[in-house]
Amino acid sequence: MAGVRLEHVYKKYPGSDKASVTDVNLDIKDKEFLVLVGPSGCGKSTTLRMIAGLEEISEGKLFIGERLVNDVAPKDRDIAMVFQSYALYPHMNVYQNMAFGLKLRKFKKADIDKRVREAAKILDIEHLLERKPKALSGGQRQRVALGRAIVREPQVFLMDEPLSNLDAKLRGQMRAEITKLAKRLETTVIYVTHDQVEAMTMGDRIVVMKDGFIQQSASPEELYNHPVNIFVAGFIGSPSMNFIRGTLTDKGGTISFKTTGIDVALPEGRAKIIREKGYVGKEVIMGVRPEDLHDEPVFLEASPATIVTALAEVVENLGYEKNIYLNGLGNETVIGRVDGRSTIKEGTNIKLAIDMNKVHMFDTENELSILLHN
Amino acid sequence: MSNMEWKDQLEQILGCTTRLFQIKTSEWEDKAAPQATGSAVSPRPGKSAVVYDQLWIVVSSERQKLQVLEIPRKQITEKEEALISWTIVNLKQVKQETAGKGNEASVLLTELGEWIQLELDSGSKGVIVPDHLTIGGKLFSEMVSFLLVSEHVPPNSTYSELEKLLDSFFEEDVLLVPLKTQEWLILAPVSLLSEADNEEREEEEETVDEILFSICSGLHGMLASEWIGECHLAVSQPVTPANSIVETLSLLQETIYLGRKFHVGENIHLPWLLHLERLLNSIPESQRAIYMEQMLNRSDVIIEPEILMTLETFFGLDCNVSETAKKLYIHRNTLLYRLDKLKQETGLDVRVFSDAVLVKIILLLYKVTKRR
Repeated sequence: MAGVRLEHVYKKYPGSDKASVTDVNLDIKDKEFLVLVGPSGCGKSTTLRMIAGLEEISEGKLFIGERLVNDVAPKDRDIAMVFQSYALYPHMNVYQNMAFGLKLRKFKKADIDKRVREAAKILDIEHLLERKPKALSGGQRQRVALGRAIVREPQVFLMDEPLSNLDAKLRGQMRAEITKLAKRLETTVIYVTHDQVEAMTMGDRIVVMKDGFIQQSASPEELYNHPVNIFVAGFIGSPSMNFIRGTLTDKGGTISFKTTGIDVALPEGRAKIIREKGYVGKEVIMGVRPEDLHDEPVFLEASPATIVTALAEVVENLGYEKNIYLNGLGNETVIGRVDGRSTIKEGTNIKLAIDMNKVHMFDTENELSILLHN
Repeated sequence: MSNMEWKDQLEQILGCTTRLFQIKTSEWEDKAAPQATGSAVSPRPGKSAVVYDQLWIVVSSERQKLQVLEIPRKQITEKEEALISWTIVNLKQVKQETAGKGNEASVLLTELGEWIQLELDSGSKGVIVPDHLTIGGKLFSEMVSFLLVSEHVPPNSTYSELEKLLDSFFEEDVLLVPLKTQEWLILAPVSLLSEADNEEREEEEETVDEILFSICSGLHGMLASEWIGECHLAVSQPVTPANSIVETLSLLQETIYLGRKFHVGENIHLPWLLHLERLLNSIPESQRAIYMEQMLNRSDVIIEPEILMTLETFFGLDCNVSETAKKLYIHRNTLLYRLDKLKQETGLDVRVFSDAVLVKIILLLYKVTKRR
């Protein structure tokens, strides 16, 4: 196994005046599970494809292990790829599918057999070896695609949205299985997804990309709790973080955030940073995660200075929790996530307390987090 | 080297444009025979004649047809003319010698590729492959045609490497016809379809289109990881190449062109899925731009990334709200909220058929008018 290093990597397509990937620097450690995440067109797949050798690198250097591989063909990079479309070979059975890459590399029959059967055992598909892909379910096909990669025993696994063709239930299962598999094989994995839930649950480290630039590279906890800018804050978390534009005021030594329907006090620790950074009296964007809006009586009693009143326009009941679409807080719809046992009714005015210890503040111009220490 | 390549190189050396075309032997006799420097009967490769201030040199002759190279007479000297004729004669001999050394099939396939290109360039699609190019009659069997276009310039050894790779992959006798430097036509036996579909299943039978798509996906995946890198593939319904190889290649070339233009990022292009794209492509660019300006002036909401992805998924799932919400991992109400927002901003409700058609067209045109 090996690490992967990208040094000032750019991708620019002919005829385009803008780079699709700009100055990407990443040092992916041996055995690390790294997730590249971002919206469509952010450059995550292009970055992965450059690592795979499917796209040429316009500028910069790419190392797999200590080897510079910019000009090495995909087949010679000692990597294995698993794509969104399983791309199984329909005219071959599962065994032949898994053995094909080894056969091309002139492995001995006995070695091929050993590797295929071992991989099949790990993936629990031993009973499917004689079947053709058509006779397999989506989940089974994905396992075969993984098996085809495993038998190669590559230095690095590259996965591009490998679960997006599966239904929600299977996706959850396979998510856990791939994570387990990566740990068991002790291998380096670079995984691309647009789904932040996948990113959060699978990655040792997550790289959030937008418009070809890396926005933040950090552990899932760090990204969720300390996003560096509005984009990362909004991208990670479902439902997304609410963004409310308002003004920070100082009233008798207490810093408050004010806008339509909201006048809430910041805890002293956070107020201190606001003062130090000179944001008192300025317009900012407050970021509130849906779960940081509380309707429990205990919370309301304990935090009288952070209570707001809003109209519950829509209530989405997910069973274990409810998403409440609120009107009257700032100019946009705000989403709150409350316990499934909450009795909030659609069309009623409700009281909620904002957990001000957890809110984020962003600069309106550069959209960077104000509360994060530089 | 294909016809087009050596022609380009010759033009560079001579510093003038040339033309390669096909005529009937009778036409040669009418126009060139009175001035021909050799015998006018059955002109052989290398023979030349001056016709309307143009020098005509026979490149190849087959049955009653001649392939002719035309060069402006004033642009070359007599020595250069003699040298070109000599080169054509000797190139032909080298090819034949190589064929004699056990590589006959690949030389024939190269010749077949050149013949197809020439027919395509002259605009004749319904022509029948000459007997000697039917690769021992193989082209009379029904076959599946794939057009492979590589994004990378291949090294010199590519043909044999690719041929071996395809033989291992299909485990069948596959014909690989070289076309241009980065373009090959792959002809596989139609039995491939039954091999991909020979298991008994209680569920619905797969259609030929579905089987062709899965073979194409597998082939693309294999070529991307085991060959020189990224490539584009198009596949056609099974045909008898002897009768329709030129027409089929024309369709596949158009398919890859449309696929790359309208669906950037996709590598597998299927002719039966690109009917609307073909129609839209025939509309002059200026009119497309005016139309898009008018439509997008309603509101830019349609091209917001979140709405774009929602609409692509929604259309991909035949406008099914529940399936779309499931696929996007969002609550049904969230999807309805997005569609309502679109309706409010643009007046177009994609749950209504006529509006859905309009939005689909806007999305396709947006890709070719606004991209980059």
